[in-house]
Amino acid sequence: MLRMGIVLLGITTLAWGQGFTFTLGSPVAAQDFQFKSAAFVFRAEGCPEPDKLQLSAIAEGVVSGERRSVTVKVMPASKPGVYAIAQSWPVEGKWVVILKGACGGQTAGALVPVGPRGFLREAAKVLPRPATSGEIEAALKIFTDGGKQ
Amino acid sequence: MVPLRDRTASAELAPGLLEACRAGDREAFRVLYDVYKDRVYSIALYFFQGDQTSAADITQQVFLKLITTIPQFKGDSAFSTWLYRLVVNACQDATRRRKHTLAGTVEDLTVPGSQEEDLVRTQVSRSIQDAIASLPPKLRMAVLLRYFDDLSYEQMAEALHCSMGTVASRLSRGHRMLAERLQSLRGRR
Amino acid sequence: MTLFSRHVTDQLSAHIHGQLSPRETQRFERHLSECEQCRAHLDQVTFGADILEEVQIARAPEAIWNAIEAGLNQAPASRRWPLAAAALAATMLAAIVCWVELRAPAAQWNVVRIHGTQQMTGRVGPGDWIETDASTRAVVSVGVIGKVEVAGNTRVGVVAARPGEHRLALRRGRIHATITAPPRLFFVDTAAGTAIDLGCEYSLETDEEGSGLLQVTSGWVEFQWGDLHSLVPAGASCRTTRDGPGIPYFDDAPDVLKQVFAEGASRQLDTVLAAARIRDSLTLWHLLMRVGPAERERVFSRMAALSPVPAGVTRELVLKLDAPTLARWKDELAWTW
Repeated sequence: MLRMGIVLLGITTLAWGQGFTFTLGSPVAAQDFQFKSAAFVFRAEGCPEPDKLQLSAIAEGVVSGERRSVTVKVMPASKPGVYAIAQSWPVEGKWVVILKGACGGQTAGALVPVGPRGFLREAAKVLPRPATSGEIEAALKIFTDGGKQ
Repeated sequence: MVPLRDRTASAELAPGLLEACRAGDREAFRVLYDVYKDRVYSIALYFFQGDQTSAADITQQVFLKLITTIPQFKGDSAFSTWLYRLVVNACQDATRRRKHTLAGTVEDLTVPGSQEEDLVRTQVSRSIQDAIASLPPKLRMAVLLRYFDDLSYEQMAEALHCSMGTVASRLSRGHRMLAERLQSLRGRR
Repeated sequence: MTLFSRHVTDQLSAHIHGQLSPRETQRFERHLSECEQCRAHLDQVTFGADILEEVQIARAPEAIWNAIEAGLNQAPASRRWPLAAAALAATMLAAIVCWVELRAPAAQWNVVRIHGTQQMTGRVGPGDWIETDASTRAVVSVGVIGKVEVAGNTRVGVVAARPGEHRLALRRGRIHATITAPPRLFFVDTAAGTAIDLGCEYSLETDEEGSGLLQVTSGWVEFQWGDLHSLVPAGASCRTTRDGPGIPYFDDAPDVLKQVFAEGASRQLDTVLAAARIRDSLTLWHLLMRVGPAERERVFSRMAALSPVPAGVTRELVLKLDAPTLARWKDELAWTW
């Protein structure tokens, strides 16, 4: 089941890709000792009104051939605009974290495969909009069929 | 006030910290306090419908109780479970003492300094707070434990003195009641 | 029509929180596919759970700790002080506590032997040394902030053991430190300089001359020797010599880089630069400060070709080794490390 957080603020315009985007990084990029064990960190960029930034994350996985879905907390790091994702999903199976963001009328998304030793940078995708169901399924399929950590 | 997400995923206590607390090490106790204080305070604050004085009293009471009873903590369950059991007991005791004297004491829990253009956001936050405050105490506490410290259902069952099935049931009912009371927000998806 | 007893209403939250077993999930989803009522309830529960993600956590006022501390200094310990009165008293108390701490004897740390036969278990404080033979390994608890595993054939001493400074001296051998504390509370001195914990887990080995290796598995370590600094993030290592810390490199770096920076081989700068990947900007960033002006310009050009130079970082300032500029660039490059 794909489930995302809600956007509580009124959206006045729907201009996609106006500079609002995510940058993904290893936990060291946050330079915040509290998140040294995070699965990965990310930065929300190009949001002119940070107060209106809305973020949510969900982990979609396949465990023993079965699809699983776990809501994931998005935790702000000490630097403004930087957030951490800690592993809250089971260690078994293959998992892709789906990030979703909204800033005013702009949106951003990301598909981040995460293995036992952290996120797979080369396989991660940053999008100018939330990932579609098809993209999520495709990411999971690539990861489970041929993903290597 | 900062977003709920501003916290460690689950408290990772340094090796030896609890032993040092048991041995009466004040520095260790301060470290332990720093790890949990915001979560304990927030649970009490939301449980008592924004009453900051009660939340501060509960937090003080819990940590004083903690330091005097920590030698009894044998590590049979997770430390956080044990701590939150103290929080649950303290909130329940205070509820019994206070009866129903909370009307009119609700504080605004929204981020201070919100601009006028953020009125919608402020109103939404306030609606959520009110909806949580309106939950029956048992459902309210279950919801707060889950969302302020990501406790597993097993840990919550221990802290709440009930079965995991009861935890699941209380959370399901709590979520549904919140959804019913905040139906008006659905249009903002 | 589905019987009421089979409804999954009470499992809705457990489902969205991933708390159901695979078998329960299967049963749950089978029922859901048949039951419109439960699907509607699931929608409600999902919405309610989403809304709770918007709840905000509150910071506990500092006055609470003051009141607790005041309470701890009262007998019996469980007596509670009114917060306002306690705050003033605690402020005065804080000054006294501060003074007492300065004069307080240093802490003792526990040592536990985990392998071998050598007598090792006990407590150590400043001035004490732990020396393991080839077959003995031990674990030292570093106050309340972490632990240090001591490998065989290692000599390590406690230099300082107080709240603001936990310092070891590693004369020879190997240690593995796991620290859960804010940065700059844990230090290890070696003949090649000092490893400063920036919130991390790492292994450090050295001989008595300072030749050794720092390997970081989590967080950051800064290695300092006079004006020479090396910043080593998780996944990277750094050689040390009697002249101080070398240039850090990622453990998965191309062979050419590892031959130069791990093994001390000699290669042309252009060969090193050509082999560097985006992630190896860690190595190149350190190289900027260790080469002459002409080489620095070539290093800068390669870095600029690998990834865009951020706003505010200019060629001129980098070549002048302007410290704030280099720090800003490093912070940006860290997103690729």
